[in-house]
This record gives sequence, C-alpha cells and structure tokens, in this order.
Amino acid sequence: MNIDTRKRELVKELSPMLEKSSLLSKIWIISLISIILVGLYAFILQLSNGHEVTGMRDNVVWGIYIVNFIFFVCLSYSGAFIAGVLHFFETPLKNSIARIVEITTVLSLIIGPVFILLCIGRLDRLYYLFLYPRIQSPISWDIIAILTDLIGCFVYLYLTFIPDLAILRDASKENAEVPKWRKKMYKFLAIGYQDTPTQHERLHKIIRIMSVMIIAMAIVAYSVLAWIFSLTVQPGWNSSIFAPYFIISGLYSGIAVIIIAMYIIRKFYKLEKYITKIHFFAGGVILLIFSLLYGYFTFSEYFSRWFSHKKHDVDLLNTLFSRYFWQFIFANYFGILMPIAILFFKKLRTVKLVTIAAIISVLGIWLNKYLIVVPTLETPYLPIQDTRAEFVHYSATWVEYSLSLTGIAAFCLFFTLILKFVPAIPMSGIIDLEKRKQLKRKKDNQLATEL
Amino acid sequence: MKSNLFKYTKITAFLAVLLFSINSNAQEKDASNYDMSFEFKTIKQDDNSRLLEANFNGKNIEDRKDIIPMFNAEIKFFNVLNEEEVLLGTAKTSKEGIAQFTLPENQKYLTDENGNINLIARFEGNDAVAESSAEIIVKNIKLALNLEEIDSVKTVLVTAFTFDESGTEIPLEETDVIIYVQGMFSKMKIAEGTISEGAFEFEMPTDLPGDSNGNLTVFSIIEGNEQYGTVIQKKNIKWGVFQKQIKENQNTLWSSAAPVWMYVVLTILLVGVWANYIYTIINLFKIKKEGQDIELETES
Repeated sequence: MNIDTRKRELVKELSPMLEKSSLLSKIWIISLISIILVGLYAFILQLSNGHEVTGMRDNVVWGIYIVNFIFFVCLSYSGAFIAGVLHFFETPLKNSIARIVEITTVLSLIIGPVFILLCIGRLDRLYYLFLYPRIQSPISWDIIAILTDLIGCFVYLYLTFIPDLAILRDASKENAEVPKWRKKMYKFLAIGYQDTPTQHERLHKIIRIMSVMIIAMAIVAYSVLAWIFSLTVQPGWNSSIFAPYFIISGLYSGIAVIIIAMYIIRKFYKLEKYITKIHFFAGGVILLIFSLLYGYFTFSEYFSRWFSHKKHDVDLLNTLFSRYFWQFIFANYFGILMPIAILFFKKLRTVKLVTIAAIISVLGIWLNKYLIVVPTLETPYLPIQDTRAEFVHYSATWVEYSLSLTGIAAFCLFFTLILKFVPAIPMSGIIDLEKRKQLKRKKDNQLATEL
Repeated sequence: MKSNLFKYTKITAFLAVLLFSINSNAQEKDASNYDMSFEFKTIKQDDNSRLLEANFNGKNIEDRKDIIPMFNAEIKFFNVLNEEEVLLGTAKTSKEGIAQFTLPENQKYLTDENGNINLIARFEGNDAVAESSAEIIVKNIKLALNLEEIDSVKTVLVTAFTFDESGTEIPLEETDVIIYVQGMFSKMKIAEGTISEGAFEFEMPTDLPGDSNGNLTVFSIIEGNEQYGTVIQKKNIKWGVFQKQIKENQNTLWSSAAPVWMYVVLTILLVGVWANYIYTIINLFKIKKEGQDIELETES
C-alpha cells in the first residue's frame, strides 16, 4: 500500500463533506443561528431585568440552567472518559467514532459552564469568585476541575487532529479549490507534522498519556460535580453514592448522545461505510449495560430514602410522587425500562431502534437531573416567610427555555462547523489501522514462507 | 411523623371539646377508649414557695403508648385535715395536660399532730369525663444551702430540719440529697449523699468552668422523697474557673482558610496535571522543530 496514494484517496472520499454546503445544511445552519439569536435576546432581557424574568426565586434558586449545566458537563466528562478508553485500549471501533466523541467532549465542556453563568444573579461580581476563592467549597473545586479539564480536553482534541490536519495540509497544497485561509490554517495547526517515525511515535506517546490523564480527570471532575450536591445536608442530595451515581448516569447519557450523533452524522454525510450497523449494535450493548447499572443506582438511591423514614426525605418523596408524578415515572421508569426492553433483545438492536432507545435515555436522564435539583429546593428545611405559590414552586419561563435551546443549538452549530473543517472520520486512524493490518499480513506471509 | 402530629392535635382538641360537652353520644363513645390518669406532686422551691402540680392524661385502653393530655381541665387544690377541706387554689391544665399552682412562702397549712400536710388535687368531672383526684401527704421542711470557703476548701453545706407542732426544728435523718450545678441546657449532678443529723457537707470540685464571669449556680435537691416531696435550694457563687476556648475549630463554614491537607492534595493534583500539559507542549515543539528541519532539508 502506498501511503501517500491512500491519503489522497481518503481526502478525496472524505473532503466533499468539508466543502459541500447543500441547501439542507444551509437551512440547518440558519435555523440554528435563529435559535441562538432569540436566545441572545432572552439573555439581554435577563441581564437588564435580572432573574425576575426567570422562574427562579428565593426558594428555588436553581432551575433548568443548572440542570443543563449538569447534563452538558456530565456529557463532556463521559465523552472524555470514552475517548480516553477508546485511545488507550486501541479498540477496533475507535476510528469511526473517536472524533465524534472528542468533539462532543470539548463542545459540551464549553457550553455547560455557560449555564452556570446564567444562574448567577450578579454577573458583575463574578470576578469575586477568583479574587476571594474558598478552597474548602466544592464550588471552587468544581471551577478548578472544569477549567483544568477544559484545557486538557482542548489539548487532547488538538493532538488527535494533528495527523489529519497534516494530511489535509498536504492535500490542499495542489488543490486550487481550497481557500487560501483554510490552507494557511491547516499549515499552522499541523505544526510541521510529516508523519515521520519519530514524530509518529512522539505524538502517539503523548496522546496515550493524555488519554489516561483525561480518564482520571473525568472521574475526579465528575465526583466533584456530584459533591456540590451530596456534601450539603439537603434532602435528596445528601447521599454517599451520588459521585458514582453521577458517573454512571453521565456515561449512560454520554453513550446515548454519541449514538444519536452517530446516527445523524451517518445519515447526513452518508458515512454508512465507516459508521456501520456493528457500531450501533455495540453501542446498543454498552447502552444496555449502563441502563441496567443506572437503573440499579436509581433504585438504591430512592429505596434507601424511602426506607429510612426520615421526615424530610419522606416529604421529598411525597412531592415526587404527587406534584412530579408523571415526570418521575418518565425519568425513572420509562426512561430506564424502555431502553432496557429495546436493547435486551438482539433482534431489536437495529440502527433505528438503538437510536430511539438512546433518545429516550437522554430525555430520561435530563428529567432525572431536573428531579434531583428542583423538588429538593421546593422542600426546604425552614419555611420561607412569603409563601406565595410562585415563590415556593418553580416553573421555567420562556427565557429559560429559550436559553436552554440556545445551548443545544450552539452545540449543534459548532459541531457542524468543526465538521466543515476536519472530517468526522479520522483519516490518520484508518491509515494506521491499514498499516498495522499490512504489517501483520507481511509477518504472517514471512512465517508461512519460513515454515 | 407528620400524620402522628396531626393525630395528636386532633385528639387533644377532641378531648378538650369532649370535656365541656354535655349532649354528645358519639364523643362519649370515643372517650370510653381512654383511661384517665391523674398524677399529683409538690415541689418546695428555692424561694420557699410550694409548687403544686397535677398531670392529667388519657391513656388508650388498647394502645398504652397512646397517651393524650387533657387540655383546659379545671383542677382544684385542697389542704385537708380530717373533715375540714380548705381550697388552696385552682388551675387549668395546659396543652401538655399539666396544671400548676404556686403557694407563697407564708402560706398557712392545716397539719396533723406529726406536722403532716395533706394535699389533694381534684378534677370534679363532667358528663364525659369522670371525677379524678390524687392525694399526697408531705411534711414541711426547711432546707438551707451554704457555700463557704473553709480553710481554703470550697465547701457545700446543706442543712435540713422539720418542725414539730410547737415549731421546734428537728434535724433530718437518713435523707438522700443531690448536689447539682447548672449547665447550659440542664443540671449536672456532681455529688450524691445522705443528710445525717440535719447536715450534709461536700467539698466542691475546683475545676468547674461556670459562665463567662466564673459564676456557678449550685443546687441541693431532695428528690421525690416519700415524706417531704421534692425540695430545692440554690445559690450562685463565683467559684467557676472559666477559661476562654483557645482551640480553634477546624474546617468550619466560616474558617478563613481551608485545612492544610486540602491545599497539599490540590497542589499535588494540579502540579501533576499541569506538568503533563507542559510535557505535552514540549513534545509538540519537538515535533514542530523536526517538521521545520525536514522542510529546510527539502528546500535545500
């Protein structure tokens, strides 16, 4: 196999997705930008009028912003975890999904913390957090963990991009259709990578170390996020299993989002050759394992609260089974049992059904996070003086929904734009795999000749 | 718990209504499930006044743990001698089912030839709840508490006397007494002893902290004695050795700094992670340098 020829072939095969701007993709991008613009208006409204325009009040100081924050940050940590595992163990499925996982990780880690900023009533005092940090506060730990993890994930994403950027740089040299700025960008970001044995070895060594590091960082950061809740004495939050519970639920949602992203990218970019049914089948099996684990943790969490008969825990469970009855049923019964029912049977693990199971899982997890945050704040230890219904109970306003949708739209928009710059399938990974196969064949032939 | 409280309030209110109702068959039927319990005690307080206390409850016949206090029941307190009955006062039961009445120090009592005072607490009953009463017989005693430093020894001196018909003091014999000091929430027992020949002496510990000014409140109490009831005496004295707490609480919400181990762990973690980032960047520069060298070679 001539490597240069193969690289050119891959660029030819995968580069149309970088250049093509179909009508559909244009409509897609315009729709996303429109949602973001509405969100921007909602943000200006919130900035000028304060939290009055949201459903957050004295009692329920956290609403769907914090739910989105947990969801996106968990998604990112699970992405980092999965990306690290894929690279470290050199799994055969790595090539097709690694890039999707890495982009998901970084984007969700950029978007997630923005929601925390939306929760802060006085954004003008944000710098106080850095001027007067309290190291003993889990919130400070979370800021440190998120910032460190964000940098780590950026570096990791960039490292995995380098070989492909080098391929694209070489391929775009002779291609007049590629704009000048893009050529310059490829050249700058490829940092002179020529895929020499020394460069290859060096790069893969640091990617390997980073992959181990981001697995560890993801676990630490996940736990810190859970501790923001579990280190308080609030009913529903004060739990010793919250950290592993968050890790499991994060991985569950992460795998589900990756399956959904795989489905969309496969369909939109026609990548059936690379993202095959086997990927969905394997994804379905992993999702099944995590849905069982997640279901077990959810059951343990609520069962111990129910059995303890502690007054405030019982009050919380009463709220969950009265005011939030259907949400609770959807999040913790339908959202867990339905994916299990679909994925349990081998025959049902088709591309579409696995994706549907993943969508149900994502919705269930989001709702589960909502039920962790809001009902607890609605059942405080001390009653507040002004007990107007809107002060005690929380319901999100259009501003909050709009900004939440903006987060999702921004995630999709950045994903789309990144895929316009680098292919969804890492070309260098395919070449490496083919090289290894060729080497193995050579060795086998040599062995056969010797025998 | 919430439902129990609800039940508690409901039944208490129900019994209160029941107490003053005349024509209610259904209520009478429910009250029959409860046995009425009436307890009576007297406490001679440190100012020599006498507290009369009656405790009036309804106990469920089937579930003995279900005790409902009688609320707003009028209790009459009497001093009795033979056929003569003197009303001392009346009091209504509180939400806890307790009625209290205090007799002043100079209260004159009817006493028998041995100096015994016969006291009766009585609920006269109505259509729903039957009459209940309880009786106690106590002797009036004089309990004195003296706190003195004798040869630099902080000494607690308790003296106790009863009186005969002519008012002569008779020293108490073989009567248990307990010495307490007042704590923040309750009394702390520091000695137990027996009054003999009308006196009990006890050496006070020298390491009790007291309040912020070093003041101690010392109690001598004869508790629930068959003959005398409960008798209390107390005195304040500056015998405490208060010392400001010099040990700072570790890691509180209001601590200005986190515990040292937290800084150490955080530093190790961050140094470990950032060292790896730096290592990665150094390697990226090496990759870049090699790429530049190859480019230069190709150009030349």
